[in-house]
Amino acid sequence: MTTEPLPPAGLRARRFRPAEQGVVLLLAAAATVSVLVAVGIVFTLVEEGAGFWGSVSPWDFFTGTEWFPVDRVYGVLPLLSASVTIAVLAAIVAVPIGIGSAIYLSEYAGERTRRIVKPILELLAGMPTIVLGFFALESVTPALQDIGILGRDQLYNALSAGIVVGLLIVPLIASLSEDAFRAVPAAMREGAYGLGATRRVVATRIVFPAALSGVMASIVLALSRAIGETMAVTLAAGTQPNFTADPTEPMQTITAVIVAVSKGEATRGTELYESIFAIGLVLFAVTMLINIAAVALVRRFRTVYL
Amino acid sequence: MATTSAPVTAEIPAPRPLARRRARPGDAVFHAAVLGALLIALAALAWLLVSVVTKGASALTWDFLTSRTSSRASRAGFLNALKGSVVLMMITIAVAVPLGFAAATYLEKFAPLSRDELRVISRRRRRALADRRAAGTIGGIRLLVARLGVAFSALWARIGPPLTTFVEINLSNLAAVPSIIYGLLGLALFVQIMGISKSLLAGGLTLAVLVLPIIIIASREAIRAVPRSIEQGAMALGATRWQAVRRQVLPAALPGMLTGTILAMSRAIGETAPLVVVGGVAFGTALPSLNPLNAADEPLYAMPLQIYTWVDQPQQGVWGPKAAAGIIVLLVTLVVMNLVAIWLRNRFTRRW
Repeated sequence: MTTEPLPPAGLRARRFRPAEQGVVLLLAAAATVSVLVAVGIVFTLVEEGAGFWGSVSPWDFFTGTEWFPVDRVYGVLPLLSASVTIAVLAAIVAVPIGIGSAIYLSEYAGERTRRIVKPILELLAGMPTIVLGFFALESVTPALQDIGILGRDQLYNALSAGIVVGLLIVPLIASLSEDAFRAVPAAMREGAYGLGATRRVVATRIVFPAALSGVMASIVLALSRAIGETMAVTLAAGTQPNFTADPTEPMQTITAVIVAVSKGEATRGTELYESIFAIGLVLFAVTMLINIAAVALVRRFRTVYL
Repeated sequence: MATTSAPVTAEIPAPRPLARRRARPGDAVFHAAVLGALLIALAALAWLLVSVVTKGASALTWDFLTSRTSSRASRAGFLNALKGSVVLMMITIAVAVPLGFAAATYLEKFAPLSRDELRVISRRRRRALADRRAAGTIGGIRLLVARLGVAFSALWARIGPPLTTFVEINLSNLAAVPSIIYGLLGLALFVQIMGISKSLLAGGLTLAVLVLPIIIIASREAIRAVPRSIEQGAMALGATRWQAVRRQVLPAALPGMLTGTILAMSRAIGETAPLVVVGGVAFGTALPSLNPLNAADEPLYAMPLQIYTWVDQPQQGVWGPKAAAGIIVLLVTLVVMNLVAIWLRNRFTRRW
């Protein structure tokens, strides 16, 4: 067998540079930190809450309709139902407004309008949730009382929490849906216009169905954001666990319980301290499932246009 | 032949005049509806801003900004919160930015790109090893090292690409984890396991972990926006990959990376939930020092935490204006940060 000739003298094999390899290894180490964060989240939720599962049976935990730590009654259902109720209320507010805004921005608005409006919507998206909580408590709830939906004595309620969380996720739905609408090829629109379709017909029969997977994903992601939302619901919906679906009642979500317990400085090792890690694990699992559903939805229903 | 083909004059119907587009009520209604949706969103934002400003304007005085917090509403100021937020930002930047930039650089430029590419590298190394052995230029310990190198590159070709995919999925999931979960992580990891007191340091580290995925994702996009030809040009002139990345790609991507960092910081500065979980609500009125090295001993103060404490007070008649004034300060900070980010993007972003 003949050996290949060695490279000509001018082209030396690249020298091995240990310093550079070291730098690359450092960069790789930084990249693994992000994995460690994920591992750390799962580890701490499981490990710190481990004692809880020893003293409270998982069956009672997942089927209990009462959350009353003073009597050692830990039923997660009222908290979970509160989180879901508020997320659904938020979606009822945000889905029409968000999708409507997205259709307007992508199909009707001119370039200039879009350039002005989009940063304003982003401002709403970046609004600290404590501000929305204050807004719910000081403005939305009184307004709801004025128009008679709430009684004068109902300060804390799920409805105003749902409305402000809805406001929070409007920009999320609007901007993700708009991206999906704009990804629909112009040729499809022009074909429809050529056949005499009006803008409404193009938007509702051509663009919307074509972008459906993106729109669905935006709604699902917004729901996951709404379920994990904390300060607005803590301030507006109150701190009273309540197993009901009536939006005018006060409710305490999973996130609100975590805030209430940690505000009271629960010491490590107590059942109360462990309970917030247990419900934190439930919250983490729910949001992860929703995110996975969003990814699967996009993959399953995505239409690729060439 | 005689039959002259008489021109057939068919009766071509005159084209119907194009019907003038009828005004359809449905179109106008739809247009109004989608425009209305957008206007509702903007009106809600306007309502929010107006209600905050009308409630807080009277309490927003110079004294409010320069006096420390107090248990009496008439004297309570925002200085603790301002200083606390500054220290928190310093810690968060110091931890999250180097880690985030390094991770983004690795993932975008050095992480295993594709299985095929790695297989080619591994095959080439194996051939080079065989050649040099045949030529008798390699032996002893060097042979062992070379063999290890070949084995490692073959292994990396197998596990590297799936690992990269895993890290990428992991990152996008982390960005969607609710912020309060990061608070629980901070409480367990920094406060309970590592034994840092419930201080500015614990809060800053928690916020750093919270924004790390956001910074990595934004920085990766900025690095990706630099065309490959820049890097390839540098490498063609003899630069190693690291030299090309360090001297050509990173400087070109830096404005974009900084923009992403500022946006991530504007997220961190408004976060309340993780700080409440990590640090509880601070009592006392001692002013924190601005030196981040003392942060481990300073009580956890931050603008959103202070606002939360005030909103949570029972007598909203006196505390409400204080909270609203604090919100105005926080919102002005956020708008300024966003404007800087937009300016940076417009000023330094190059079109390739």
